[in-house]
Amino acid sequence: MGTYKVSYRYASSLLNTAFGKNVLDDVSKDIELISSTLEKNNQLILALSNPIIKPNIKLTILEAIFKSRINPETMNFLNFLIEKKRENLLGDIVKIFLVLRDEKLGFVNVNVKTVMDFTNEQVNQFKNNLEKLLQKKVRLRFKVDQNVIGGFIAQVGDTVYDASLKHQLELLKKQFLLGSPTLN
Amino acid sequence: MAEVKPDEISAILRKQLSGFENEVDIYDVGTVLQVGDGIARVYGLSKVMASELVEFPNDVFGMVLNLDEDSVGCVLFGESTLVKEGDTVKRTKRVASMPVGEEMLGRVITPLGIPVDGKGAINTSKYSPIERKALGVIQRQPVKEPLQTGITAIDAMIPIGRGQRELIIGDRQTGKTAVAVDTIINQKYTHTEEAKKLGINPVYCIYVAVGQKSSTIAQVVSKLQEHGAMDYTAVINASASEPAPLQFIAPYSGATLGEFFRDNGKHALVIYDDLSKQAAAYRELSLLLRRPPGREAYPGDVFYLHSRLLERASKLSDELGGGSLTALPIIETQQGDVSAYIPTNVISITDGQIYLETNLFNAGVRPAINVGISVSRVGGNAQIKAMKKVAGSLKLDLAQYRELEAFAKFGSDLDKATQRTLSKGARLVELLKQGQYTPLPVEKQVVSIYIGTSGILDDIPVSEVKRFEKEIHEYIEVNYNNIYEFIRKEKQLNDEIINNINKAAKEMLNVFKSHA
Repeated sequence: MGTYKVSYRYASSLLNTAFGKNVLDDVSKDIELISSTLEKNNQLILALSNPIIKPNIKLTILEAIFKSRINPETMNFLNFLIEKKRENLLGDIVKIFLVLRDEKLGFVNVNVKTVMDFTNEQVNQFKNNLEKLLQKKVRLRFKVDQNVIGGFIAQVGDTVYDASLKHQLELLKKQFLLGSPTLN
Repeated sequence: MAEVKPDEISAILRKQLSGFENEVDIYDVGTVLQVGDGIARVYGLSKVMASELVEFPNDVFGMVLNLDEDSVGCVLFGESTLVKEGDTVKRTKRVASMPVGEEMLGRVITPLGIPVDGKGAINTSKYSPIERKALGVIQRQPVKEPLQTGITAIDAMIPIGRGQRELIIGDRQTGKTAVAVDTIINQKYTHTEEAKKLGINPVYCIYVAVGQKSSTIAQVVSKLQEHGAMDYTAVINASASEPAPLQFIAPYSGATLGEFFRDNGKHALVIYDDLSKQAAAYRELSLLLRRPPGREAYPGDVFYLHSRLLERASKLSDELGGGSLTALPIIETQQGDVSAYIPTNVISITDGQIYLETNLFNAGVRPAINVGISVSRVGGNAQIKAMKKVAGSLKLDLAQYRELEAFAKFGSDLDKATQRTLSKGARLVELLKQGQYTPLPVEKQVVSIYIGTSGILDDIPVSEVKRFEKEIHEYIEVNYNNIYEFIRKEKQLNDEIINNINKAAKEMLNVFKSHA
């Protein structure tokens, strides 16, 4: 996929500029806003990726939506994107920007699956332990999943920390089957 | 009905569960983006290695072949219908590997080392990667010991040494597999006590069946069993019904198993039957992975596919134990066309080739070896002295015969010398015919060739040559057994032995004629 390279380049330059000008916090808030707006409004994505709509109209649309809500720095970036005819990649750029920002600031997103909701105390304990283990700041996202049966499954990037009963039962099954003729 | 005691069950449970860990398990995952035609594109798996094994749901395994910027291309070793979009893929953190060990002997296994012969699990302790770099120059030494195929024509004129790579090439139905199977059967002798006394080391055999009919494989296995050859043979089965990726890695698995024996100072023989099907399987998955096609639609690295496989055949230096890995790749040609892409590639990689021809086969010359264009570039060093001595004149006689063969139909119009050459040649060709599953030990081969080249057979009609050969072997065994013993032990001929053979032949000739 060739667009990945392009989106990566735009996202990293935005990140570096924002970091250089010391407005990273503001810019990332803006990007988060854009991200959630895009997620909820499919029509906006369609409009941006439509080649029939003229660039100046696209710019007017974006200005009308965002200008009062975001930094001039971010608005400049949107302007630049439209000038370079890359506005159709906005969704990808925004996603990659958030990933790169987390990487830079030492944040990781952790998706946790449990059978029932953790109490606040449990969440704090869990977060502390995880931060100690990963040596990074952790942002937790919880999800309740009955399939886990017991324990938890935490996914950090591509790595899974699996302490669920479901996984242990699977391992047990494998161990029982090991060396049995049914496996062959 | 028999009952199972409860305490028996709990004992088993306790035993099984004792090694069971209940800590946090850490593994890397990815998500299937796209699946189909035995190929899966996976997102994630960020730290995965090239040619690493990955685990899909439903016990399907895959191997990573493409590492792209934002996705990973895997080939599946199982049913692709069992894998869905969005499934989780787990890393196994080991490159595609297989269990190796002597326990594999006598078994039929898949290229990943899983037994398929219904004889239960194989308990090996060692794993070896399927793809390994071939050894360098320092670790090797020239081929020096013979690998007897038991086929007179091959052992005399196209000798194979331990550590050599000799291609068997021919159209379909020319007896390529027969040559390979006979060679395996003939290795039985090397596992006997007698061979041990003579300093002949046992040869372990690996038969890799790629893209063949399952019925053919079953037939080969039962023939090997019948001749007691399965005791020292492992069969790696990637039949035509297996997915292309398994057919692609099967020869590498065979080489890995062979290397296990080689690296332990033993001798191994691997037969790749056949590499044209493996190339076709590799072409299939390369095209599915969208690698650009080249000549005959094979990918650009199809030469490397075979060269890196066949380079693994080797004779180790004495410091490394002197083990060897001999490779007998088989290539099937279409209508005798050896100038196609894959045949030319493999011919250029190997240390020689054995050509089998359809018209020879149909003319009753079996094994249908065309000795004119078959060569062995290094095997000559490995031939025993006695064989070298008699084979020289055999080659010459046959070459002269081939030159004059076109004149054979003029019969009596020819001069005496030409007639003599023709009649001798016809008898030699007859002598080199050999039935399937009847390998001949080297001392008998030497005697056969000697009686053929020395003109003893000239007075016997061509149709009686094989019978005479058989009877003289029996006669010598009974009356002049020292001949065989001498050749076996000393591996050469001297005047006394030659006189003895002549004497035995003369006596036999008298008996033979008086009964005719």
